[in-house]
Amino acid sequence: MMLFFLLLPPLLMFVASFSRSPWARKLLPVSSFAVLIPVALLFRLPKPYELWGRYLVADDLNTYILLLSSIVGIGVTLALLTLDRHVKISTKALYRFYRFFGLFWVGLSLSILANHMGIYWIGLEMATLSTVYMIKTNRSAAAHKEAWNYMIVGAIAISLILFGIILIYAASKPILGEQAMLFDALLIKAREIPSPFLFEMGFAIAALGMFVKMGFFPMNLWLAHIERASFYPVAALFSGILESGVMAGFFRFSRIAERVNYDHLFFFVFAYTLLTIFIVSFLIFRAKDFMRLFSLSGIEHMALIALFWVSGGSFAALLHFGAHAFLKPALFLSTGVLESTGRYHFAGALRGYAGLRGKLFWFLVGLFMLAIVSIPPSPMFFSELYGFAAMIDDAKSSHHLLAMLGAIALLLALLSVIFYRFVAIYQSMKYEGEAEPKKVYSSEVLALTIFAVGLVALLLPSSTAFLKGIG
Amino acid sequence: MIGYVSTIVLLLLLAPILLSFIKAVKMWLLYKRPVSLLQGFRDFGKLLRKETVVSEEASAMTRIAPFLVLSPLLVALFYLPPIAKGAYYVSFVDAFTLTGLLALSTFFLMLLGLDSASSFGGMGSSREAFISALVEPAMILTIFSVSMMAGDLGIGQAGVNLAEHFPREHTASFLFAAISFFILLIAENGRIPVDNPETHLELTMVHEAMILDITGVYLALIETAASVKFVIFASLFASLFLPFGMEEAWLPAAMIFVGKLFAVALAVALIEVNTAKLRLFKVPNLLGIAIVFAFLSLITYYVLGA
Amino acid sequence: MVDFLIGLFLATLITALFTSRLYRLLFWYSLNSLTLGLLALVIGARLDDRAMLMTGGVTIALKALAIPYVLKVLSRRFGLSRQTPPGIKTQYAIMLVPAILVFTFYLAEPISHMVQGNANYVAISISSLFLSLLLMIEHRNVAPKIVGFLSMENALFLLGTTATRGMPMLVELGIFFDLLMAIVVINLLLYREEAEL
Repeated sequence: MMLFFLLLPPLLMFVASFSRSPWARKLLPVSSFAVLIPVALLFRLPKPYELWGRYLVADDLNTYILLLSSIVGIGVTLALLTLDRHVKISTKALYRFYRFFGLFWVGLSLSILANHMGIYWIGLEMATLSTVYMIKTNRSAAAHKEAWNYMIVGAIAISLILFGIILIYAASKPILGEQAMLFDALLIKAREIPSPFLFEMGFAIAALGMFVKMGFFPMNLWLAHIERASFYPVAALFSGILESGVMAGFFRFSRIAERVNYDHLFFFVFAYTLLTIFIVSFLIFRAKDFMRLFSLSGIEHMALIALFWVSGGSFAALLHFGAHAFLKPALFLSTGVLESTGRYHFAGALRGYAGLRGKLFWFLVGLFMLAIVSIPPSPMFFSELYGFAAMIDDAKSSHHLLAMLGAIALLLALLSVIFYRFVAIYQSMKYEGEAEPKKVYSSEVLALTIFAVGLVALLLPSSTAFLKGIG
Repeated sequence: MIGYVSTIVLLLLLAPILLSFIKAVKMWLLYKRPVSLLQGFRDFGKLLRKETVVSEEASAMTRIAPFLVLSPLLVALFYLPPIAKGAYYVSFVDAFTLTGLLALSTFFLMLLGLDSASSFGGMGSSREAFISALVEPAMILTIFSVSMMAGDLGIGQAGVNLAEHFPREHTASFLFAAISFFILLIAENGRIPVDNPETHLELTMVHEAMILDITGVYLALIETAASVKFVIFASLFASLFLPFGMEEAWLPAAMIFVGKLFAVALAVALIEVNTAKLRLFKVPNLLGIAIVFAFLSLITYYVLGA
Repeated sequence: MVDFLIGLFLATLITALFTSRLYRLLFWYSLNSLTLGLLALVIGARLDDRAMLMTGGVTIALKALAIPYVLKVLSRRFGLSRQTPPGIKTQYAIMLVPAILVFTFYLAEPISHMVQGNANYVAISISSLFLSLLLMIEHRNVAPKIVGFLSMENALFLLGTTATRGMPMLVELGIFFDLLMAIVVINLLLYREEAEL
């Protein structure tokens, strides 16, 4: 029943996309808001709460992730109302977009709530396939090419994840039988897995698939190009919902891998994320448009989250995760307005807003721009502090303290490159270029406000206490 | 010993029939009236009655070579694996000898092509050399891998061993070797994807180009050699890759064996009808696939033991 | 029997790698899926596992018959090029394919000691995974890439069938569902492509 209400808004969106009446589109944001009710109820229910047998189980972690992704979903539905005013899109394509957005949302809700590796994978695959079409709604040659690109590389990534899942299943089937697919059963029996090498191999391959999907090391620019070629809500969905889904899986898999062999897990993720951040920071330095800039910064944040999570700083990881899930979609959604004078114009993007809506818009966007590079009141600042502290704590217990300090110094240097670039872009946006008039719609401002409220809510004592309790 | 001799006689008699059979199947599938199965014998008789003309430019080689083309193949017939259990067979001849005999025959065929000094003969010989050079490595790899599975390098012994205890656990590598050997069978006998035995188009012919100037008795010998070569390959395929039916008495076993030969011929005919001839420079690709499969068979056997 | 089928599986995949015609490629894919389905049926019959028998049947119906047919219809409707020459020349592929096979066989060796049942299956499915990747990489055209994606699915399915003695029914049904959805999405992508031209 609970599950039905959770999936109702996306399903409603799917159904509404077949109707041609303009009312349907107007009502969708309202119905999306309705998703908050079951999510809020989930928070009150005793955990773990079984939504569908042991297949879909809600615990603190995935309820939190579900809340984040629902809010992003609401924000994107709001912003979709004015998509056709910022970009050229046919009505038919717009409705198709809604249809596949609905499927995408359903798939990822399943993925996030899954306690079953198979269902996790099925949801992810469903989301991936529906994204392909959402990319394709932009009728340009670039979008067409990137849609195929996404289809192919996404399929490879997804297949790698399935490959890993099969190996993990094969490793733990002797002791668990069919239950070897359940995350919680695996977690309990993790130390008794008869062939840890097979498990680790499976984990490494699955993690590689997830990393590729999030645009880590070998595929850094792949995601950026795709987000550039597609309409801006797609990018917001990617960073807000899809990456949440992938990350949720990573959290669960790595929890199990941690018990199997912590050192291997840590070294693998540590080396991978460090390499990713190293490359991404220089790519950010050279980014010339908002879409690629934000996309690459999203990769950087995902790498940080993965790093914090495996270092034992689960609070830091979750806080960072939450902040990123609010900030990045907000920025992506605002690119629709920021780029209304052209794609490669940083200068003057924050000027030329009139009226209350405009003022609010540039204020919020400026705030987000600075918050994403962890200027102090931002949750990201605290999460990075906690994260680095967790890394040092982790290293203290081993004899790699010096190496860890060196790595953190390197990370800080790389982050400062990114910081410098963002601040420079912010200044260019605010103080250079001509003030060309830009139009802002209230639905967008509303979406941004929701994200801002969410961001502030993350810092409330009660929510930090909740996050600390997840660990 | 009687079984041994009669097997060889049987194979010799079957040789022209098998080629006629392939032709007949092809004609039947193309809605033509099929030729008689005895057409091979008729052609042989006709060629014997014809006058033999030898080019003025030709040396003594043209007179010697046809015999030297046929004789290694006839010798090879004696070394084939037995067709029934308990029959006599030559166990000491290994696969390399057999390959060498086949190569010797091909060598003289190429000399024959060059000897008449016509441009076609030279062209055909060069093409034949090109193809045989590519066939050789795949052939060695395949036979080697089969011998490993059979546990004996001797070709007769390998056939017996395979029939007695078929290596069940190695079916996968066995299959790869069979695919590779079948491609080689097609290539060595000049069947369709590699060479078309029926046309005299300058662009495509290989085997026909070499024997364009040969007439009469010599042509009869060469044609016989071609059919004997096919029967050697077909019976090798039948005893190495379809090793069953040998436990019976001699006569039923021979019947099964003949059935297998016709099955191989049928497969060749079906492939000939369904594929177009490859361009000459695409032939290495096909043989490359044969090499891949031969190699695959070997590594599957060694690494996986499958 | 299982060894034979698994050999056939790999053989059809390798042949598909060297094919330069679309319909032939689909034919090899269909044979590939057919051996996979038969394999599931044989193993299912041996283990007396009804779920696996069912998935074997569905595999044959869906992957060996329906999907190749649908792809053929789609390729005809949208006028996809039937000539699909591989981007890697055959002479290089001849060297590359054995290299991949040797590499994956040795890669799979430590894994195969840990899986119950026959270890070779794991090695062969991993190598077919890599070969399907090669199939995707070596072609420029869209259609062979789709076939590569589908054969990758097959390779994973083989791994699931042989290494774990069958995935849970739910997962396999989900995979089939996603496969169907993939076909729908591919159809839409092709459709739009035609609309633009």
